[in-house]
Amino acid sequence: MSIFEYNGSALVAMVGKNCFAIASDRRLGVQLQTIATDFQRISKIHDKLFIGLSGLATDSQTLYQRLVFRHKLYQLREECDMKPETFASLVSSMQYEKRFGPYFCQPVIAGLGDDDKPFICTMDAIGAKELAKDFVVAGTASESLYGACESMFKPDMEAEELFETISQALLSSVDRDCLSGWGGHVYVVTPTEVKERILKGRMD
Amino acid sequence: MLDTTALESFPSLISHGINVAGEISAPPSFQLPNSNDFDGFVKETIQMVKPAKGTTTLAFIFKEGVMVAADSRASMGGYISSHSVKKIIEINPYMLGTMAGGAADCQFWHRNLGIKCRLHELANKRRISVTGASKLLANILYSYRGMGLSVGTMIAGWDETGPGLYYVDSEGGRLKGNRFSVGSGSPYAYGVLDSGYKYDMSVEEASELARRAIYHATFRDGASGGVASVYYVGPTGWKKLSGDDVGELHYHYNPVTPSTVEQEMVEAAGP
Repeated sequence: MSIFEYNGSALVAMVGKNCFAIASDRRLGVQLQTIATDFQRISKIHDKLFIGLSGLATDSQTLYQRLVFRHKLYQLREECDMKPETFASLVSSMQYEKRFGPYFCQPVIAGLGDDDKPFICTMDAIGAKELAKDFVVAGTASESLYGACESMFKPDMEAEELFETISQALLSSVDRDCLSGWGGHVYVVTPTEVKERILKGRMD
Repeated sequence: MLDTTALESFPSLISHGINVAGEISAPPSFQLPNSNDFDGFVKETIQMVKPAKGTTTLAFIFKEGVMVAADSRASMGGYISSHSVKKIIEINPYMLGTMAGGAADCQFWHRNLGIKCRLHELANKRRISVTGASKLLANILYSYRGMGLSVGTMIAGWDETGPGLYYVDSEGGRLKGNRFSVGSGSPYAYGVLDSGYKYDMSVEEASELARRAIYHATFRDGASGGVASVYYVGPTGWKKLSGDDVGELHYHYNPVTPSTVEQEMVEAAGP
C-alpha cells in the first residue's frame, strides 16, 4: 500500500446556493488496523474558511499548523481574514516549496469569498490546484466519491438538502473502502451560521 | 506428486501431426500459459492472489459441539469488492470449512474435498471422519506447495468420536485444536474469544461469544466487515444460527445515548 493509503481518509466538499458543505470520515488507522474513530480531518481557518487534509495524518497535522501560523501573520499585517482564493494559492505555494520532498497530503479547501460566494478547490500533494464549481473529493475513497457525487449532485441546493446529499455521498462511498469510514463529520456553512454534525455510519 | 483427480485432460496445443487419439490419451494436467517468460508470469500471478488473507474467521469446540463464525467482506487492496461473500462452506451436512485467503482457491478445493468425502462414503459404506477429511485436504495442498495457492481454512465437523476441529493451510500445515481464528482480523477475534471462552457453555452463550468476537474484529480490522455469520455443528449436523449485519451490531452493543445539552438554542420566531 502506498504512503497515501497508510492512514486512510475520505474528504468531499460541495457547493450549494450561497452555502457550502465539507465532510470527512473519522477513521485513523495504521494500514489495516483502526486506531481511532474520532479523528479530526477538517479544521477551521476562520469562520468562512475550512480546510480538510487527506493523506498521511502526521503531514496533514503539520501542514495545518503551518497554515494557521501563516494565516495569523496575515491577519496581523492585513487586519482582515484571508479570502479563500488567496488561501488556496498560499497552500499551493507552500506545497510546491517541498517539491522534492513533499507533504503527503491532498488538501480540500472550502470557503465563502466576496459577497459570500462559495469557493471550493482541491490540490494534489505538490500543489496543483483544481477549482470546481460543483464538488471536489480526496482520499482513499476518492474514486467511489467521484461516482457518488456525480450522480447525487444538483446545482443550487439549499443548506438542508446539501447536507443530506453530501452525507449520503460520503457514507455510501466509504462503505466501499476498507481504509476510511467509521462515522462521518459534516460542516455546512452559510453566511450566517456554521452547522457541525456527526454522522452515524457503519463501524466496520 | 501433484493431486490431479480434479483436473481435465489438456493435450498440448502444439499439434504433433494428425493424432485423433491424442486428445483422449493425454495425461491430466493444468493448462499452462503460452508466455515467453513463464517464471515471471507465475510470480506475477502469485503476487496478485497472495496479499492479506483479509478476513476474520473463527471456530471453537465446546461442550455442545463446534461453533464456526466468519465475516463476509472481500477486499482487493483497499477496495471492498463485496459485502456478502459466503466464507463458511458447507462441505457436507455434518462438516463445514471456512474460507480465508484466495476465494477461488478455497471454493474449488473445498468442493473437491466434498467430492472426495462422498466417494469415501460410497467406497467404505461409512462417513469419513473429520481427521480423515482434513488429512485429505492437507495432502492436496502440500502437493501444490510453493505454487501460489492461498488457503487458510478450518475444517469443523461432528463424527463418531464427537466434535472435531482442524486448521489446514496452503503451506501444508495441519493442526488439531480446540480454538482457532484465521485471517487479518484474527488477533482481535482471539482477544475476545480467549477471554470469554469456557468449555461448559450453552449453545446460546457460545453463539453470542462467536458473534461478539467477529464484531470486534470487524471494528478494528479494515479488511473485515459486512455480515457476521454463526454456524453450529452438533450431533445431527450443522445449522446456521445467525447472520447479523455488523453495522447494526455496533449500535446494538454501543447504544447511542443523547448527550446532555448545556444550553439549547431556540429557533427565532418568524419575521
